[in-house]
Amino acid sequence: MSDPPAGAWRPDRDSAPWWERTGREEFAVQRCDSCGTARLPARAFCPACRTEGWHWEAAEPAGTVESWIVNRRAFAPGFAVPSVVVMVRPDAVPDCLLPGSWHAAREPVGGERVRGVFVPVRDGPTLVGWEPVVR
Amino acid sequence: MAFVVKRLLEFRDRTAIAGVGYTPFGKDSGVSTLTLACRAIMAALDDAGLTPDDVDGLATHRVGDSAAPSLVGPALGIHDPHWHLDQFGGGSVSHAVVAQAALAVAAGVAETVVCYRAINARSEFRMGGTGRALPVSPEVQYQAPYGYVAPPQQFAMYARAHMLKYGTRAEHFGQIAVTQRANAAKNPRALMRTPITLDDYLAGRWIAEPFRLLDCCLETDGACALVVTSAERARDLRRPPVLVSAAAWGGGQSHLSGGPSDPTVTAAAALAPRLYGQAGLGPADVDVAQLYDCFTYSVIVQLEDYGFCPKGEGGPYVASGATALGGPLPVNTHGGFLSEGYVHGVNHIAEAVSQLRGDAGDRQVPGAEVALSTAQPGYVLPATSALILRRG
Ligand SMILES: [Zn+2]
Repeated sequence: MSDPPAGAWRPDRDSAPWWERTGREEFAVQRCDSCGTARLPARAFCPACRTEGWHWEAAEPAGTVESWIVNRRAFAPGFAVPSVVVMVRPDAVPDCLLPGSWHAAREPVGGERVRGVFVPVRDGPTLVGWEPVVR
Repeated sequence: MAFVVKRLLEFRDRTAIAGVGYTPFGKDSGVSTLTLACRAIMAALDDAGLTPDDVDGLATHRVGDSAAPSLVGPALGIHDPHWHLDQFGGGSVSHAVVAQAALAVAAGVAETVVCYRAINARSEFRMGGTGRALPVSPEVQYQAPYGYVAPPQQFAMYARAHMLKYGTRAEHFGQIAVTQRANAAKNPRALMRTPITLDDYLAGRWIAEPFRLLDCCLETDGACALVVTSAERARDLRRPPVLVSAAAWGGGQSHLSGGPSDPTVTAAAALAPRLYGQAGLGPADVDVAQLYDCFTYSVIVQLEDYGFCPKGEGGPYVASGATALGGPLPVNTHGGFLSEGYVHGVNHIAEAVSQLRGDAGDRQVPGAEVALSTAQPGYVLPATSALILRRG
């Protein structure tokens, strides 16, 4: 993958530990210490029980395809056209929808099973992309 | 809770929109957003039969791309407004600005508020993902590194989810573009007035599949302003008053886990019962609807979420011709953002006012008494707002 657009990736104080983990090729979720609810993206409070305590937990980078687009013009410098961006519902946090890059020669299929791939970017984060389980 | 409902019912029809004003719409205004704002405000005040000396409130929404009330006030000699609002945000807050102005008037904080939106969205600050700096917001880090940065991409993503779940088709999106262009052909203000066919739509170049060129709204230079005052005062002014019967805010599905996560249901679904309840009306009472159409798909999902058709049937509902002029629910009679121009929600409210005053010319919905006008329905960020307006 080419460089992301300038300024696009700016981890904040909530998310920095999550991005550190993707750099180690770990797909992590926050698990609430009080009620056990998993959450993504990273933030301090559990939306279910409204408490702050949590721990990071490595999860299987697996999910299903909720939707996708095919970029037919360059919306940001440095990205190939055409290119697919996929929206995945991760098994570990099924009420979250994550956009990501798509790693297959064909387009996705609605509802198909996918697994995460870790995509290092020069001078940037390790991104989480997705590939089909059945190629 | 009963107390809250009672107070909301007291708000019904207490305030009115007494004037609307526009600048011409175009691709290069050649002037600043401050100039555009002042021109639209002066036009709206003239429409109402008022002057800046009558104004004691100013309100706008913007994303760092336009003139603030603190600049516009002094520019028009309005030196000490009793109330002002500089609302950060995109289309989802467009109707909230007018709602808040109406609340300020109903509460007696201000008597006459001008709400405006000025934008050089083509010549200076394009929204379609060509050169605009990315906003600094926590969710951007999970999107932008994948090249997923622009509204056409985000709405295309949601549109595809709706296609997958409900069988919505390109022809349904296209019917919205075709219908709204036919409306724009009857609107002298509209930027795009040449009628199109479904074949023209389907032949359009891809932008972000499943969206083609004509799924996307225009990027426009222009401004639009509205005068909000008490219903009582509006009755003494130049034009027939249009009453604010209901105003509501809502939230819904989000990119954050922990809440609703169905991408085919918008914040409008949560808002709609409150909105209708406040007005004492239902979808069947709405004579004309101006639904936020940053993209064709947003019309389909709102037809469902505001209760005009069952969930998932927005596409067939549009294909039936129901939303065309002469149909049971004319939608975006001005041509909408797709064909009139993009003033970030305010021109939808202005068109609703025009329909209820009966001065919409060739595109007038005969006898229109109740109008729904809506903000961006709560994609990208989970918030929306909407108004029900009624002929006074
Ligand atoms: Zn919890």
